[in-house]
Amino acid sequence: MADQLILNVNGQERSVHATAETPLLYVLRNELHCTGPRYGCGMAQCGACAVLVDGAEVRSCITPVSAMSGKKIVTIEGLPALWAQSKGAAVGAGTLHPVQQAWIDEQVPQCGYCQSGMMIAAVELLAANPTPSVAQIKDAYTNKPPSPHLCRCGTYAAIIRAVQRASTVMTSDGRSS
Amino acid sequence: MKIMLPVSSTVPSQEFLPQLTRRGFLKTGGVLMVSLATPRLTSQASQAVPQRRMPIASWLELHDDGSILVRTGRAEIGTGMSGFYPQIVADELGVRPETISLIMGDTDRTPDGGFSAGFLTGAENLRKVAAYTYQALLRLASEKLHLPVDQLTVSDGVVSGDGRKISYAELVRNQQLDLTIPVSGEAARVDPKSWNGLSGLDGLVVLGNPPMRPMSGYKVVGTSYPMPGIPDKVMGRTQWMCDVALPNMLHARVVRPPTLGSTLIAAGTLDKTKFPNAQVVVKKNLVAVVSPNEWEAISASRAVASTTKWTEWAGLPGSDKLTGFLRSYPWKAPSEGKGSIEETAAALSTSVKQVSAIYEQPFIKHAPISPFVALADVRADGSATVWSHSANLQGLRAQIANTLSISFDKVVMRWLDHAGQFGRTTFGGDGAEGDAAILSQMLHRPVRVQWMLQDDFAWSASSPGWVEEIACGLDANNRITAIKSSFYSCQSNDARIVGAILAGMPTSEPKPGYWIATEWPYDRIPHRREEAYGRPNLGSDAPSGVGMRGLIMRTPGQRQQNFPLESLLNEAAAAAGMDPIAFRLAHTSDQRVIELVQATAKAAEWQPRPSPNPMARSEDGKQLHGRGMCLMIRQNGCWVGIAEIVVTPSTGMIQVTQFTIGADVGKIINPRQLERCMLSGVVMGISEALKEEVTFDTGKITSTNWSGYKILTMAEMPEIKTVQISRDDKGYAGGSEPANAVCPAAIAAAFHDATGIHPRRIPLTPAYVSGLLKTVRTAS
Ligand code: FES
Ligand code: FES
Repeated sequence: MADQLILNVNGQERSVHATAETPLLYVLRNELHCTGPRYGCGMAQCGACAVLVDGAEVRSCITPVSAMSGKKIVTIEGLPALWAQSKGAAVGAGTLHPVQQAWIDEQVPQCGYCQSGMMIAAVELLAANPTPSVAQIKDAYTNKPPSPHLCRCGTYAAIIRAVQRASTVMTSDGRSS
Repeated sequence: MKIMLPVSSTVPSQEFLPQLTRRGFLKTGGVLMVSLATPRLTSQASQAVPQRRMPIASWLELHDDGSILVRTGRAEIGTGMSGFYPQIVADELGVRPETISLIMGDTDRTPDGGFSAGFLTGAENLRKVAAYTYQALLRLASEKLHLPVDQLTVSDGVVSGDGRKISYAELVRNQQLDLTIPVSGEAARVDPKSWNGLSGLDGLVVLGNPPMRPMSGYKVVGTSYPMPGIPDKVMGRTQWMCDVALPNMLHARVVRPPTLGSTLIAAGTLDKTKFPNAQVVVKKNLVAVVSPNEWEAISASRAVASTTKWTEWAGLPGSDKLTGFLRSYPWKAPSEGKGSIEETAAALSTSVKQVSAIYEQPFIKHAPISPFVALADVRADGSATVWSHSANLQGLRAQIANTLSISFDKVVMRWLDHAGQFGRTTFGGDGAEGDAAILSQMLHRPVRVQWMLQDDFAWSASSPGWVEEIACGLDANNRITAIKSSFYSCQSNDARIVGAILAGMPTSEPKPGYWIATEWPYDRIPHRREEAYGRPNLGSDAPSGVGMRGLIMRTPGQRQQNFPLESLLNEAAAAAGMDPIAFRLAHTSDQRVIELVQATAKAAEWQPRPSPNPMARSEDGKQLHGRGMCLMIRQNGCWVGIAEIVVTPSTGMIQVTQFTIGADVGKIINPRQLERCMLSGVVMGISEALKEEVTFDTGKITSTNWSGYKILTMAEMPEIKTVQISRDDKGYAGGSEPANAVCPAAIAAAFHDATGIHPRRIPLTPAYVSGLLKTVRTAS
């Protein structure tokens, strides 16, 4: 039967009702109306449902919601706040995470369905490696478990450019502040 | 049996320009509405609907704040139309594109219908709509400024002449103006006489020839205007198809039969202690589980599936026997033939040298990154609203009305963004919409159906496998004198609603057949005979009625038929001992083709020499390098691909290291969006060339997830260079889909260059490549 659980999503404590084994994806989408993560495969094979959990990419389609207690979940809706927080600044109305701005500047999305997961992967990569090479970007999107991030529209070249653009902004921003 | 309309409509020129009528004066606001002279799409297309009853069906509205609303029944499919349409309208009207917002797809809020992929016809329509509006605004301004029209100029929505000026916004202020423009066309409907079971899929066509600006004078077209929906998608603000929820809505999951031919013996039962809110719904062979809670619907459907009993069925040849099956099928007359049989045969029989081959490809999938999802609300009064991401909303509207046996006029389709479909909804069929509508009609509640990944791979239509026999003859000067080709495949027009087939409800009835899709770049080849044969779906006689449904996929038909044609050209060039580019250029006088080939070859730093590479060998453990090219003309555009690859004989692995793609698409609307489409199309094309294959046994598709159906990953993507040529005097061309179709033959040619072996099948998987290399070693 459904339990009451407290989730920390995008910096806010939220109360939800769900059975323990319900995948996080359905709770985020249907209970919390947080629709950035989307269903692509339901078996950790594509990356469309990716979210950050304590800073690491997690596939929400196979992660039981009960495993999330005490952890910080971030979806693309929470990326502006994540960035503002890292700068010690307040989130303004127009604030975007540099990864989001780079995705706009490089016109990455075609249909865009996979791109929430692609941006989550970029944020995780840039936290671990602020200036990744093309080979390192390709490696992160392809060889990191549990599966490659797949884009059927084929936007990989634009993603690489956008990650590099975000990297430039984030590292130069770090130096100047 | 054509899928795309010609570039410009063949409608006779009309001398008149429609006049503005003033419906009234307003105290506040003001608008000019551009509407249709014939009714919007209703089931009684012949019966005129008075204009006043359809105020929302306008093409274009110009408001007194300067904002412009444009409506099109075509939807964004991920290739940038939502940006191109405002660009085109902006240039014809003389306004900035930022002032234009677009409503796409919704059948109750757009006038015309049509294929979403039919960009050229959509662009031509909106260009004329804007041109008519521009003429009307000029006449209005001429009255206000007391100047003849030919002394007026327009910039940024402001009309000026003789030192005076007035804006479009001021022209319409406090008025309600109507402009009625002539159109033709018929409503979409299920039509047993039509080859794909539906007619009216083209939507409406704007008639007449209003004066239009020369493309050389365009200011917005030709610039890299950003795609409007991107910021919302990046910020998580877009409402996607999967996000729509209604009060009282049920989540449904379908429980599909174990094979494509099985019928239901007994539906499984639900353990109500485990799934208290779930319910099993059965209509003939359509089995579904619904619940207000999505996860309960998923878990309960799995439990029900494990106890549901179905008949067995084994009516498919199996994917490993597919091409043998197609070769031995008792083909009768071709469904389409072009060119003279006798002249081609005579030229072949007198040729000095003949080159012939049989090429093949297995079934492949559109494989969107999201499975089908839809929501339907069928109400007690027989009206229905269906939320969908179809690429032919009016066609699907007709399908839903037909399946539910309700009136077309009572069905509203609302379009939302979702994962790219690559042609699988182009004919207005298939998808979760049918399931959702049937279940909602049965349950009297809104029902949202999400196919799971396995459902989608196993039950969506596929792009059928094929075999082509092709031969050419060369004269003493190594010029091709004739080509003969016979293409064999399965029907690729099955837009039936799978939920309706299973539920035993009415749906469209497509006819078997195939078509010739090649467009011919080689005008110096004097004789050719092309034939296309299309048998019914595999398993078309399945008791369930479903079988292995075939549908078009991106660059339909031409993607398939270009591979053998261009591969044969490469084989013939090798047989002639000629460089493959020089060999092709010797067979065409088309200046656009020649210029693009030369520009692309230059970008790729192509060094002329015959294939194979003099270093080509097939020894284990050593990496072999090769390069190859391919070209294609399509829809007034020309495309060239040049691949460089590395083959590792010990593993059979191919890595494409560099791909150079060139495009001449007439007037380039948006160089950046075109570049995006070129880069991403190459990714899909390489994926098809190296990896993609639907596997099936005698009853079902067995490649039902991403580890069974592999697509290209980021690490497998090469460096990609793009070359673009824009022309002001050639109109627009299709600018997205051909990119994928120039990859396979270029890669296959590069494989021959590297190894000396002509591959005659895609995908070039490690297993197939290892087999090819082994055969040669054994033979030598
Ligand atoms: S939906 Fe979770 S990885 Fe595909
Ligand atoms: S942008 Fe369409 S799947 Fe990635």
